[in-house]
Amino acid sequence: MYEFVTGPLAWLSFGIFFIGLLYRLVWYIRGLNWQMDRVTYSVNVAYGIRGALRSIFFWLVPFGTHSWRFYPGFTILVFVFHICLLATPIFLMGHNVLLLERFGFSLPTLPEGLADVMTLAVIVAAVFIILRRIALPEVRILTKPYDFLVLAIAVAPFLTGFLAYHQVGSYDFWIVAHVLSGEIMLVAIPFTKLSHFLLFFLSRAQLGMDYGIKRGGMKNKGMAW
Amino acid sequence: MFKKILFATTASPACDNAAKVAFDLEMKWDAELCVFHVLGVPSRGFSSFVTDVRTGENEQIDPDYVDWVTEEMKNTYADLLKDSENSTLEAVIGVPHREILRKARADNVDLIIMGAHTRDEDIGAARYRSVVGSTMQKVAKSARCPVVIISRPCTTCWKLFSNIVVGTDFSKPATSSFLWAARLAKEVNARLHLFHAVDIHASEPGKVKGQAEIEAHIEAARKKIDAKYLSQLKGFDNYEIGIREGTPYVEILKFAREKQADLIVMAHHTREIDPELALLGSTVEQVVLRSSCPVASVNHPDKAIAEKS
Amino acid sequence: MPEGILCNKQVVDTKEKLNALLADKSGKQYYAEMKLLDVDTKALWATLEKTCRSRLRTWLEICAHCGMCADSCYFYLANDKDPKQVPSYKIQSTLGEIIKRKGKVDNDFMRMVMDTAWSKCSCCNRCATYCPFGIDMGVMLGYVRGLCFAQGFVPWELKIGSGMHRIYNAQMDITTEDWVDTCEWMAEEYEEDWPGLEIPVDKENADIIYTVNAREPKHYPEDLAEAAILFHLAGENWTVPSQGWEETSLAMFAGDWGACKIQVESVYAAMDRLKPKRMVVTECGHAYRATVIEGPYWAGLKSGKTPVESFHYVEWVAEALRTGKLKIDPAKRIKEPVTYQDSCNYVRNAGLGDCAREIMSYVAEDFREMRPCREHNFCCGGGGGLNGIGLYRQQRNTALKVKRDQILATGAKMVVAPCHNCWDAIRDLEEVYKIGIRWTFLKPMLLGMVEVPEHFKPQEE
Repeated sequence: MYEFVTGPLAWLSFGIFFIGLLYRLVWYIRGLNWQMDRVTYSVNVAYGIRGALRSIFFWLVPFGTHSWRFYPGFTILVFVFHICLLATPIFLMGHNVLLLERFGFSLPTLPEGLADVMTLAVIVAAVFIILRRIALPEVRILTKPYDFLVLAIAVAPFLTGFLAYHQVGSYDFWIVAHVLSGEIMLVAIPFTKLSHFLLFFLSRAQLGMDYGIKRGGMKNKGMAW
Repeated sequence: MFKKILFATTASPACDNAAKVAFDLEMKWDAELCVFHVLGVPSRGFSSFVTDVRTGENEQIDPDYVDWVTEEMKNTYADLLKDSENSTLEAVIGVPHREILRKARADNVDLIIMGAHTRDEDIGAARYRSVVGSTMQKVAKSARCPVVIISRPCTTCWKLFSNIVVGTDFSKPATSSFLWAARLAKEVNARLHLFHAVDIHASEPGKVKGQAEIEAHIEAARKKIDAKYLSQLKGFDNYEIGIREGTPYVEILKFAREKQADLIVMAHHTREIDPELALLGSTVEQVVLRSSCPVASVNHPDKAIAEKS
Repeated sequence: MPEGILCNKQVVDTKEKLNALLADKSGKQYYAEMKLLDVDTKALWATLEKTCRSRLRTWLEICAHCGMCADSCYFYLANDKDPKQVPSYKIQSTLGEIIKRKGKVDNDFMRMVMDTAWSKCSCCNRCATYCPFGIDMGVMLGYVRGLCFAQGFVPWELKIGSGMHRIYNAQMDITTEDWVDTCEWMAEEYEEDWPGLEIPVDKENADIIYTVNAREPKHYPEDLAEAAILFHLAGENWTVPSQGWEETSLAMFAGDWGACKIQVESVYAAMDRLKPKRMVVTECGHAYRATVIEGPYWAGLKSGKTPVESFHYVEWVAEALRTGKLKIDPAKRIKEPVTYQDSCNYVRNAGLGDCAREIMSYVAEDFREMRPCREHNFCCGGGGGLNGIGLYRQQRNTALKVKRDQILATGAKMVVAPCHNCWDAIRDLEEVYKIGIRWTFLKPMLLGMVEVPEHFKPQEE
């Protein structure tokens, strides 16, 4: 079972992940239309690039925008959640051992204790995100079961991985569940809201170009995000 | 002299005295009279709402509403309309002074008549008075024809006027008011009183001029009147000259009462129009408010000289 | 009844149709007919398939439902944080739902969409600057307005407004003759006080072509005279076009994209005809947005720019003060606390926030910023056409509360509002809430404080 999920199934899910994202990328860019979107993407390109980069950059910096500063608590949750969610799997020692075994290379790794803390951080942040979703009327009204499902897909690999690593109950069961849930997440990324993994950058770039080219970028120092 | 008369009314009792004069002029001069009412002030930005001039309420206007207001005007002036032969009623939307000026310009009217007062017991009297005040001031300043403002009942028919007082400060507009007053005096065979007041507070507030200085001013004014005006009277000799010193609006009112004036004619040419000071600003406002006879404001030569027929 | 006599899917392009609409007091019959209007679901879906492309679909799809847009919306704040006013909810429950149902929606639903698009959003686009994904719900609700318009679900006043643009190339019934006559009239009325003042019509190769908001010639021609006096004092070589002088676009508020195109093309034609060096538009926010920012796209200009470079009035004023073409009399600068209303349309959505600050530095001694301000300022409450829609008067009045509180917090008694709709909204908020403030456009304020050299003054005899 372990061989199957880490072998063919892993290849398949990585394949779907990459091809899916590629499709998303092509579909998004092909769907842009200068006249309908009212942004001259291919004229005034320098302003467009500047606008796009500014728009992405400021939003990647914690407290880098008015909005992040307006919601400091949530901003901390969001950044902790996303940084840990992305960094932990990539720099986890266990994963890099696998990389080295199979492909002959590895990345720098995180100390095990830190990785543990980061895993817990993802889980705890997710719990708070869920609580916020339920507690705040302005978020509750937007919430659909789908939102919980997406969050569950994203957090499941961390929960199962944590249980497997600490050998709570059956290791064999948890490790397979861990790999499977990871693969589910990979496959889900192109098809669900998790596609913001890529589309965040595209959407931000698009709006940045809008502001950079059309809405003032050619007359001022750039949008004060 | 008056072929087309525009009576700009608020369609309220405040304008009753003015209405009587307007209809009287229409009949006696065989003129066309347009009874004109601006009913709602539109907004600056996009909106179909207007502020009702009388109530200050927001209204959405449609053609029916305008018709209804016109109908109401008909009732208000039913008595006067009975004898009228050549009058029309019109209600429009806009800023009052602007629409009055637009209409006067479009129809090339010879005279605009306006009422000045609103009674205190009327709803929103204070707000309304300031609207009327600034309207009056703006119309008087910009209209090409004379603007007659009537605040008290006027018992004398214009044809029977016997004394017309024209106040001058020797400005360019004042020449126009003199010419028009002279023209009217000739037409109705009235006595023309040329009047100037030496403003004793004019140079420096608080500093009262010496008697010699005042007398020098008076002498200079007399020479100016001779040079500027008398030569233009061309044979008309039913005039006299009055020169006083003091606060101009007080002096002209006193002089008008002494001479039993039927009409005061002045120019109105303050450059700044501050709506908050509209009623207190210049000499003309003071005269308009306090005068017991009608006050005509003439600032442009257009109607001052008889048209060559 | 599928199509009403007044309320239908047709555009208003004849005077007969326009007059029939105007005669309907407050749109009573119009809205009654709207309740019976059929939805052409096939056409709706066809439009969506064609025009709702990757950008909009992505925005709808990736919205994380995080609610960070909530506090960015002044409708949400003014309505005691009603969750139904959260921008994301407003767009998901309208456009999101239409797409989910593949366009199969009924009359009730479309009327709910109309209420949302016009009474719960003024397209100020503030939410776009608070969404981490850069989802612009203002743009989307603008798009929804277009869908509604095509189906006949549009507020009465805006149906009339877009018709005006189609018939008169202006938002009000002003003919070319009316306009040219008004220019002559104003020159005539003011030339006595300002010797040499003129309003040149159709002068070729001028430095500036000046365009206006139709409400100025219609009701407030002084505004035109004031502009003329300031150009005169600044020694500008300027002109107005006899045709193509109207910069505003109620068609944009209405979502009538066809009329938008007709309108801006009339202005661009004037630019091509008279070949001015640049264009300056009066103190109007949406006029600049419509003709300068969005217009080139409606007209299909691939550069995304107007045929000649275009400037908002605040840009011209800032430049005139900077270069000394206009000088402020130091004694006449505003002494009392004064604040400035940033118009969403030319500040957030066109980046002209600096001009406003520059102007205020010349004219005011105690200038106080609203918080937030500039690109993050709140809409006055009357944008997007909301000021003018009788049906939504109450919603508009409620929405004014946010601006009221912002102004009160500055302690200023005077608000400089160089935008017709902001000016109106602030006047109305004073009328509704009576907070004891005054407000002004730039032109009358500047006229009261500029230095007038002797040779510009009338000569006394």
